[in-house]
Amino acid sequence: MNDFWIILVGALVACSCSVVGCFLVIRKIAMVGDAISHSVLPGIVLAFLWSGSRESILILMGAALLGLVTVFLIQLFQNSGVQGDAAIGVVFTSLFTIGVLLVSLYTQQIDFDLDHVLYGEIAYTPWHTMTIAGMDMGPRAVWIVGGSFFINIVLVFVFFKQFKICSFDAALAAAMGIPVMFFHYLLMSLVSVTTVAAFDSVGAILVVGMLIIPAATAYSLTDQLHRMIIISMVMGILSSVVGYYVATALDASISGCMVCVAALFFTLAFLFSPSHGLISRIWRRKVSFKSI
Amino acid sequence: MKFIWKSLVSVVLVFLLLVGCSTEKDNQTEGKIVVVATTGMIGDLVENIGGEHVEVTSLMGPGVDPHLYKATQGDVKTLDEADMILYNGLHLEGKMEEIFEQMGKQKPTIAVTQDIAKENLHEVKVGEYDPHIWFDVTLWMQAAHTVNKALIKENPEHQESYQKNYEAYIKKLEELHKYVQSEINTIPESQRVLVTAHDAFGYFGAAYGLEVKGLQGMNTVSEYGSKDVIDLRNYLIKNEIKAIFIETSVSKKAIEAVIQGAKKQGHTVKIGGELFSDAMGEKGTEKGTYLGMVRHNTDTIVNALK
Repeated sequence: MNDFWIILVGALVACSCSVVGCFLVIRKIAMVGDAISHSVLPGIVLAFLWSGSRESILILMGAALLGLVTVFLIQLFQNSGVQGDAAIGVVFTSLFTIGVLLVSLYTQQIDFDLDHVLYGEIAYTPWHTMTIAGMDMGPRAVWIVGGSFFINIVLVFVFFKQFKICSFDAALAAAMGIPVMFFHYLLMSLVSVTTVAAFDSVGAILVVGMLIIPAATAYSLTDQLHRMIIISMVMGILSSVVGYYVATALDASISGCMVCVAALFFTLAFLFSPSHGLISRIWRRKVSFKSI
Repeated sequence: MKFIWKSLVSVVLVFLLLVGCSTEKDNQTEGKIVVVATTGMIGDLVENIGGEHVEVTSLMGPGVDPHLYKATQGDVKTLDEADMILYNGLHLEGKMEEIFEQMGKQKPTIAVTQDIAKENLHEVKVGEYDPHIWFDVTLWMQAAHTVNKALIKENPEHQESYQKNYEAYIKKLEELHKYVQSEINTIPESQRVLVTAHDAFGYFGAAYGLEVKGLQGMNTVSEYGSKDVIDLRNYLIKNEIKAIFIETSVSKKAIEAVIQGAKKQGHTVKIGGELFSDAMGEKGTEKGTYLGMVRHNTDTIVNALK
């Protein structure tokens, strides 16, 4: 049963990240996830200093708040003409260093860092169960990550057209009367909530990896957004299942193996994709060269 | 769209099939109770008290910094098959402790520091205590008591054997305590200063009368500042400290910076040797046991500072 729960959590993380990750890849701001994984540090330090406890719900709220601040600042800078990658770099390094300063000023004497306080570990999710009114409801991570997946899929389904046009051509969207800024901020908020919730359950690397790699894989396999989202979800689930059994065979880190398998799928797609793959492009170039 | 739905359904089916195939096998351990300990120190304690009736696995091997420990897939099985889990507590294991508390619903999970009175612990911030209690041998005796109690409760049929082992081991710990104290007393009083990379030796210093100076604080992740290096250098020069120490599980770069700094000011400090702080030595060697590790640390400190 433990195997099932771990793979399920991995698959849910992969799906919930893929849904928003596809839009990030299209908008060329895929590193937002990595930015959030660091910039939440001041949030958790302040939550800890303010409450004096390591209660995970308070830490999570501090992290969620800073996650929102991060994405809003990134979006704000981007709107004012700063390059997307530069905006991410500026926001994430400055917030992270504020966190480092807070740690060295106030919590130097104790073990206090992201690994210790915020990042969960997927291997332990089966035992971290949730009880409501005395009833065992199964692993907490399934509910938290599953909940964020549900919110993502519903919102993306309902506003699919708006999200799509805003991501590909903001000017066109504005001309069509779509509130572009609103949808940018909404998407970024979804990213923030998704990643922070998943950090608490499974740690950083799995989330950052699943936010980008399956989406990038799907991007090289199709030209249509709805297919891209579905393919990236399928890739994510496959990575989770295969990665878990690779981890079993090697007795290695579970999230590490899941991300490695996702990267392997990306490499395969990059090389062999019928439409965009490296090999098929070389092949086509040869063919067209001959025909001349 | 049809193709997509088909592929989605087939993925879900493959997922369920793969998961279903992996049936869980139970390990037979011939009537022994299976105990999982987080650190090697706790594992060693359980081995000594449990003896032949207990099968012990330590999650963190030799040289592993508990602050930076990463779980592997094998740990899932190990934790699942355990009859009992023993951990340090006081946030040494960080977020893992939350999991252990949750697992307490299914099997006994015990923090070996739970019975130590709060006034014997070093409070570093309100409600936060220094977790490195194993270097005060008297505190470790209390941990041994907690372990003994837990084993008897879990497995009362071997109560006599546990009690006998416990009493024998306590004798050894008492000897060790006396040994450390008498050895440290041979260091000239002005030289009883222990300088290391991170603050793991607070209890050791307090128990045996050494002043402890750390460069990094307890946290091995937070960076040391350049002021820390200069302060420590000036302190070494002013008090004419002969040697400082490196640790098996922490980088020695920072300590070397301090040594170089002191050298430029005309004061020679040598590296007194390598101390075990958060992890023990290789299993099967002398330093792979708690008794051997404490002896090694004591001898290294005494030889360098005498």
